[in-house]
Amino acid sequence: MSEQLVVDDPEKYLLVVEGLEKYFPVTRGLVFQKEVAQVKAVDGVNFTLEAGQTLGVVGESGCGKSTMARCIARLLEPTGGKIIFDGRDITHLSTQEMRPIRREMMMVFQDPYASLNARKRVGAIIGEPLEVHDIGTAADRKRRVQELLEIVGLNPEHYNRFPHEFSGGQRQRIGIARALSINPKLIICDEPVSALDVSVQAQILNLLKDLQRDFDLTYVFIAHDLNVVRHVSDRVMVMYLGKPVETGSGKELYALPKHPYTGALLSAVPIADPKLGRARKQIVLEGDVPSPINPPTACRFHPRCPRFVDGKCNVDEPELIQVAGEKDHDYACHFPLERWPMGDDELRHEGAFAREAPAQEAAPAASFD
Amino acid sequence: MALLEVQDLHTRFRTDDGIVKAVSGVTFELDRGQTLGVVGESGSGKSVTFLTVMGLVDPRLAEMTGSVRFDGEEILGRTSTQLRSVRGKRIGMIFQDPMTSLNPVKRIGWQLEEAVLIHNDVPRREARRRAIEVLEEVEIPRADARIDDYAHQFSGGMRQRVMIAMALINQPELLIADEPTTALDVTTQAQILRLIGKLQQEHGMAVVMITHDLGVVAELANDVVVMYGGRIVESAQVDDLFEKPEMPYTWGLLGSMPRVDADVERLEQIPGQPPSLLRPPPGCSFNPRCPYVFDRCRTELPELRPAEGKSDHEFRCHLDDGDRARIWTQKQAAMAGESAA
Repeated sequence: MSEQLVVDDPEKYLLVVEGLEKYFPVTRGLVFQKEVAQVKAVDGVNFTLEAGQTLGVVGESGCGKSTMARCIARLLEPTGGKIIFDGRDITHLSTQEMRPIRREMMMVFQDPYASLNARKRVGAIIGEPLEVHDIGTAADRKRRVQELLEIVGLNPEHYNRFPHEFSGGQRQRIGIARALSINPKLIICDEPVSALDVSVQAQILNLLKDLQRDFDLTYVFIAHDLNVVRHVSDRVMVMYLGKPVETGSGKELYALPKHPYTGALLSAVPIADPKLGRARKQIVLEGDVPSPINPPTACRFHPRCPRFVDGKCNVDEPELIQVAGEKDHDYACHFPLERWPMGDDELRHEGAFAREAPAQEAAPAASFD
Repeated sequence: MALLEVQDLHTRFRTDDGIVKAVSGVTFELDRGQTLGVVGESGSGKSVTFLTVMGLVDPRLAEMTGSVRFDGEEILGRTSTQLRSVRGKRIGMIFQDPMTSLNPVKRIGWQLEEAVLIHNDVPRREARRRAIEVLEEVEIPRADARIDDYAHQFSGGMRQRVMIAMALINQPELLIADEPTTALDVTTQAQILRLIGKLQQEHGMAVVMITHDLGVVAELANDVVVMYGGRIVESAQVDDLFEKPEMPYTWGLLGSMPRVDADVERLEQIPGQPPSLLRPPPGCSFNPRCPYVFDRCRTELPELRPAEGKSDHEFRCHLDDGDRARIWTQKQAAMAGESAA
């Protein structure tokens, strides 16, 4: 990425991501590995995030949202682009150079069953970041861990228990306590509530919000459920096959989504109201996300799009453009939705024609090979 | 006569720590062609109820009493051999995790054919033809080629389709789906729910949908039972339940769902944890977490009683009708309150 993106005042932001790319090589052969293709997991992501704000990232499995998170946390080295954290370019820092920065950013993972060491006591799990960064004496650390347990709503006396003695929601609280232990500025939450029951989900979402308020935290919050993201985010980015297709402040994006994919995600969420549910129009997307090894040409969403126009969407790649009259709401689509909730005419744009059977079959087929 | 009639079902597991009362006195009926949604948190007994119904609980580990009638016939207490004519043939089952439910070292075609061959005296060629047919029915593209693939070659949503195909291959009268979409993306979930609805209409099956997500129930079910601590705490027709739920636990479940259609600053949360089934609290099992608890709740278990003017809407709660109506009106306002749109 040679061109400079215009970030008016880099000091203002805690995190600036410019043209982020992560390609994984696909190799063939055992000894002489030959690169035969590339998986473009993340392919040009830009965003800025102010301190104290939350960016929600939404998309289906395989859209690159977790890879993006791992690049930001520098668990992976980006192929291209720039990551500026707290005014410092961290894109290609070495493990050694990353060390002090790791104190400033932590991650909370999806599966609270797999992300806690089953053979360590809870106190040791939560205190480990303190130990790694050599903060305080053993007694200090113990006090800090007990304080953290209380902050996340667990009993400080449970210091000596093992993870298996806790329920899923409680384990996720332990994961959050561990992330908080060294007072980071940024916490990257990768699907923190996807594995939890609805009632427990609410507890964890409320906890994350309270912690943000009390400790002035900044979140990158990843989920596949737009409902969940709406509840915690100041801004939302919808990703499809490694690229953002729509970004906006929570309110605007939910009130009037522009990209048909955003519309599809919104309408896919079951509504807890049978009458409303039956009345509404739903876009049910066919098939899975296509393979990122050989993504569809031009607009990557076109094989699944209900508003596909032949000769335009599969030829000409749409750029992110701003919604007229709304600042901070961008979308990448030639034929954006005009009304929400959508009607039948929204599903099939004028000039668009229903794809004939072969096109429809060819698209999902690509993802199985 | 109802297709499935469950009467006063109890399942108690004997463990080293004591007796776990996983299911305590569950009673419900399901007619042909209907969909029953069963809602509850982890540990509410919803899965164990249906494992007991299917005869999948080991009688050496648990004591099971009550009655389970399928098409008029008592099936509780039957051995696996005796159940063979029912299970997999007249009752199909889908489990939550499609990866662990499929055999990773056998081609999916082999697994589907096996399901046919166990129950029908047909040649393997015929079983294979039937397997391809059912894969097409669950909308797997190029079914005739995909049938020779292994489970790991399918995506999560496609694997769940294979599971559904396997459950449907003998054209069951009843399909029990235990959290069939919990591990999936919302878009894939929408596909699977639509598929189950479509297949149900085509085959006239009865469906039991076990889930923790009230949204899924609203989408698919005719009747709903809400389970808590091994008991049914509320049961109603789906529209009635969402219009005027009568039990504080159901209010909590509804309030804790983040919604696209409303902007709420803070979600309502049900504090605490589901009750221990080893040592359940005395009285109403929801009383330790209930915001409206009073003395009677701590000592006396509320019986299921019908809601005002609705004989098929039953619930367990000591609060009187006036109080409950008032609280629900307030809740409704709070849930929709700040909906900016």
